[in-house]
Amino acid sequence: MSALVFIEFNKNTISESSSQAATIANKLQNDVYGLTSNDDEFCISSLGSKGFDKIFVIDDFNNYSAIEEVINKNGIKTILSPSSNTFKELSSKISTKLNFPIASNVLKIEKNGKISCSIFTGKAESHMINDNDSCIYLLNKNIVESQDFEKKADIIKVDSKVSENSSFEILEQKFIEEDISLNDADVVISAGRGLKGPENWQMIEDLAKKLNAATACSKPVSDAGWRPHHEHVGQTGLKISPKIYFAIGISGAIQHLAGVNSSKTIIVINNDPEAPFFKAADYGIVGDAFEVVPKIINSLG
Amino acid sequence: MKILVCVSCVPDTTSKVSFTEDNKFNKENIQFIIGPYEDYALARAVELKEKNSEIDISLLNVGLSENDPLLRKGLAIGADRAYRINSEPIDSNFVAHNIASFINKNNFDLILMGKESIDYNSGLVHYLSGSILNIQTFNPVTYLDLENDKSVIIKRETDSGIEKIKAKLPLILGCQEPIAEWKIPNMRGIMNARSKELSVIEPIEVKASLKLDKYTLPPEKEEIKYIDKDNLELLIDELKLKNL
Repeated sequence: MSALVFIEFNKNTISESSSQAATIANKLQNDVYGLTSNDDEFCISSLGSKGFDKIFVIDDFNNYSAIEEVINKNGIKTILSPSSNTFKELSSKISTKLNFPIASNVLKIEKNGKISCSIFTGKAESHMINDNDSCIYLLNKNIVESQDFEKKADIIKVDSKVSENSSFEILEQKFIEEDISLNDADVVISAGRGLKGPENWQMIEDLAKKLNAATACSKPVSDAGWRPHHEHVGQTGLKISPKIYFAIGISGAIQHLAGVNSSKTIIVINNDPEAPFFKAADYGIVGDAFEVVPKIINSLG
Repeated sequence: MKILVCVSCVPDTTSKVSFTEDNKFNKENIQFIIGPYEDYALARAVELKEKNSEIDISLLNVGLSENDPLLRKGLAIGADRAYRINSEPIDSNFVAHNIASFINKNNFDLILMGKESIDYNSGLVHYLSGSILNIQTFNPVTYLDLENDKSVIIKRETDSGIEKIKAKLPLILGCQEPIAEWKIPNMRGIMNARSKELSVIEPIEVKASLKLDKYTLPPEKEEIKYIDKDNLELLIDELKLKNL
């Protein structure tokens, strides 16, 4: 039996989320296939090392009929995917048209059909049993470490063109210019109202640069317009699970914790020793952010 | 123009989550609310109606009668009528099939939902409904305006940025801030809501694809390690250990 993994790229490198999906796929099935819309030979030729046996190249993830054909022709019953919106939409189509069960926010998959998922924005877990022969798993990030493999991937170009869609027209596209996207970052530096004003974010950006990290913020900060809305992490913002999450000057309201509590290591810097965030932290520094953050930056050299 | 706003009724964002011994969400002492994202969707629909009184807004929820007060609140905010499909919202697939079946019987031009419900967070109901109905779906949508009665202008967040799109109706949109400002019902709205229609519909059967085994709370965090602000070595070492 074979598993299919949806592959997304970040600047010509397979995303960590897709690599992790391939690592899990290799534990579940012998043959692991990848699906990508990136036809750059250089980018896809090395994907064997991430655990792929075959790579199917399609023109566009919106080309549903071509993707369905890949699934049907290759007897694919297991699909693993990062939880991006593009892949959620595609997975929903496959689920309804081919009658595959679908699991979202997946934390763990066992061979006997047991699946664990994050619910209530990380405040609880649901444990499901799948007794169908098929399933689509939308995975949470960093639920495994991605591994390297000694495989060589065959590249198969799927010959078809996406049909022109006349129901909508894209008038304008704006790309968020950030070096590291919040979803993909291993380290996230997040700050809250404790920073007192948008003019004080330079040290947050400096620390982020030092640690190759993305920046984030709490809801009050994005509501006040101190930082852009897409940086808001929490229950009603982005949910993230980086390897290290720095919370600087964020008190740790339950709604904020919900969006970040699955981070592997949480480091809290706050001058209020009673801040609720310390209860959820792995490391805590009680002190003034304006004093502590520059010290960390200096110590990192 | 007919707008349908699909809402979830979920525990307040500050709720402490627990489960009963027979594996159900423990509703005791929990305050339920219209999901925050659906609250944005409803607010935007009402804003559009304020500009064009010919717009008709229906509210739809899949849930039990305990949700009726929240649907009345939605009517007080400005929806014209409400429908409740009388069942626990078992999973995304169940909810999507029930919503799709309802939409098939009652045509709508624009179907607004939230980006995701904040209880089970699958973020799939809009996409699944769109796929069942073959209606174009966009999510998450941060801006919506009507161009005429056949098309709208929206902005949606993509994996790499933001797109401004002109799209033909019908459409399903998963809404997110800042699409509108949340609305609080006023006294007149509350009085009017009493006489608005709230219809109860029996659900269609949908085969459950995944079976629930149990719910658990996440493992407890280990004890926090405090680091002295004047001696940050421990933190720096830890970061270096992680190859940073």
